[in-house]
Amino acid sequence: MKRVFVIVVWLGVALLGTGAFGKIAFDRGEPLNATWFVVAAVCCYLVAYRLYSAFVAAKVLALDDTRATPSERYDDGRDFVPTNKWVLFGHHFAAIAGPGPLVGPTLAAQFGYLPGTLWLIAGAAFAGCVQDFVILFCSIRRDGKSLGQMAREEVSERGGFIAQLAVLAIMTILLAVIGLVVVNALKSSPWATFTLAMTIPIALLLGLYLRFVRPGRVLEASVMGVALVLFVVVAGQWVADSPSWSCVFTLSGVALAFAIMGYGFAASALPVWLLLAPRDYLSAFIKAGAIFTLAAGILFVRPQVLMPPLTRFIDGTGPVFAGKIFPFCFITIACGAISGFHSLISSGTTPKMILRESHARFIGYGAMLLESFVGVMAMVAACAMPPGIYFAINSPPSIVGGAGDAAAATISGWGYPLQAQTMTELAHKVGELTLWNRAGGAPSLAVGMAQIFSSTIGGERLLSIWYHFAIMFEALFILTVLDAGTRVGRFMVQDLGGRVWKPFGRTGWMPGILMSSAIIVALWGYFLYQGVVDPLGGINSLWPLFGISNQLLAAVALVVATTILMKMGRLRWIWVTLLPMAWLVVITMTASYQKIFDANPRIGFLAYANALAAQIAAGKIPAEKIAETHRLIFNQRLDAAVTGVLAAMILVLIVEALAQWYSILSRRKEPVLHESPYVATRWAADFSGAAHGDD
Amino acid sequence: MRNAAKTTSRFLRRFWRGLREWCGDAAYESYLRSKDTPSGSGRPLTPAEFYVEQLNRRYSRPNRCC
Repeated sequence: MKRVFVIVVWLGVALLGTGAFGKIAFDRGEPLNATWFVVAAVCCYLVAYRLYSAFVAAKVLALDDTRATPSERYDDGRDFVPTNKWVLFGHHFAAIAGPGPLVGPTLAAQFGYLPGTLWLIAGAAFAGCVQDFVILFCSIRRDGKSLGQMAREEVSERGGFIAQLAVLAIMTILLAVIGLVVVNALKSSPWATFTLAMTIPIALLLGLYLRFVRPGRVLEASVMGVALVLFVVVAGQWVADSPSWSCVFTLSGVALAFAIMGYGFAASALPVWLLLAPRDYLSAFIKAGAIFTLAAGILFVRPQVLMPPLTRFIDGTGPVFAGKIFPFCFITIACGAISGFHSLISSGTTPKMILRESHARFIGYGAMLLESFVGVMAMVAACAMPPGIYFAINSPPSIVGGAGDAAAATISGWGYPLQAQTMTELAHKVGELTLWNRAGGAPSLAVGMAQIFSSTIGGERLLSIWYHFAIMFEALFILTVLDAGTRVGRFMVQDLGGRVWKPFGRTGWMPGILMSSAIIVALWGYFLYQGVVDPLGGINSLWPLFGISNQLLAAVALVVATTILMKMGRLRWIWVTLLPMAWLVVITMTASYQKIFDANPRIGFLAYANALAAQIAAGKIPAEKIAETHRLIFNQRLDAAVTGVLAAMILVLIVEALAQWYSILSRRKEPVLHESPYVATRWAADFSGAAHGDD
Repeated sequence: MRNAAKTTSRFLRRFWRGLREWCGDAAYESYLRSKDTPSGSGRPLTPAEFYVEQLNRRYSRPNRCC
């Protein structure tokens, strides 16, 4: 009887999800209520988790709870800490959820709400969650080894080297592009710039408190820090209203780019406890709070989605970034559906803390479903504003013709009515000088979030406070990724440099620290600067480059996972990782080819470089702009070369893997699996972690 | 009524423990409880030593994603 009831409930969930999906896919009438998005997403996630992840856990991976995990065998209270599954879920989610699932869907909203929402849900269920889950499992079975180590052992030495290079490439491009998102969010905004700048002294204060006053008392320090951050969000308004102070904090894009580079360098070179770690604590609490508030706000306000399901820009002429739905929607959404970077977390801290193999399903698959849901919420927030406003905020001036009436006329001409006065009033309401041409996704997401938040609490009176809260939330945790990434990049540079010159590799040697920090900051700083001065807005070049490198890393992870499944003799279920891998290879190769060779200068790097060179040759560029144009040409060629190298890396890895697979399948070589030997667990079946009272 | 109060209090206690574990507040306690507690020098690290050592280790590998 109970079984029948369970089946009926799950059938109900599936039918509800199908109905909600049908509504958002086929409804072409009145604006759609956002509740349909939430229902469709949640029902799909529940069904995917209940059925598909259970299938992967039981049939493909055959999780074994009698086997001791690394946290039991090596329990050292430092890296290997047996952790309750709910706590570890929180840890893992906080680590994987960055700005990607917020910014990617916001940018992809230029195609309309439908393609992005479909990919967010389906991509997560069949690709992103599977990648995170399988890599977590593989790492647990190998004492918590990293993706690079697993690639080296299970695929080939070269495979491991490619994985390492891919990580450095993705890190460099990621840091540049998220830096650009922050620049575009803070540009000409004294309120937002002041708020974010103040988080630095607050973090320093917390760092000193946690180091010398109450070592390690993170909770009480974070509560104080969050209170101070909320205070400076409000105080930012006073700064913006003061003529003398507002000009101090009104910075150009280039000035902000150099300030961010200086911050990245300081965070990498200073002791980690002083600046980086306390900022991370602040960011974690504010991130959790803001995401929860956004979810509650969407459910409470149930906003209307005003963006059409498909816009005219599916033809590749989009103002936010150029390129057709295929492959650019999949490249742009990035982390909300699948992110290669997650495989570094799944083969980093999490496998060393997991209690039982079966928890990998909840943590690996489940946390990625939640990240996908964050992406769906970002899509709702972006699509809940009138499309005209969305395009006005996200389009660069070179596309819409600057700001004001001319730009409003261009956007209205696309079929999305907009009056210049509307933008002026909106900027005034949110306390900004202007909202025109703020590409990057953060300002439009902040407007969407602020409208949802202010409809819940405070009304229009608090719109400006909510807007700056949302900007602070986005910028704070983007900078947390930026400073932590710069530091990790510094270690990678020191590791590589240490092979050539030994002292350089010593992580405690100050000249080495300063030099390696400068090198990694110069690497991502160059791309950031290039994005800031790019007349097409920077996002048009850098975000696809980031998407390609991130999906490339995901393809690397899935190649490793497929090879391991093959060695485990799970040929029958190999499609579980092989199909998403093939899909990723197809989209990264197509996007790479188009970004390098497409004849449209807005898509193809080389076409843009050639068009600029032709303009110089024809004498169309004024003499004072020739040097700048030559720099632009060089940058486009550099971007083409970087894209080519990324594509070549994945091709080499695939050839390596195919050779390996051929020798396994043809039985030329006995498959050698580098799993740790089986050790039976000594924990009782209901053990839930030492800190939870189960000693 | 008493049962409800007990359940609530147990839930709140667990939530509090989980929150402390999640944010790292209880990391030193977990370290003291672990089987490898004494360091190479034969004594466990002090809270300040443990805090700095733990942060240096955590932030030397990718721990925040895009």
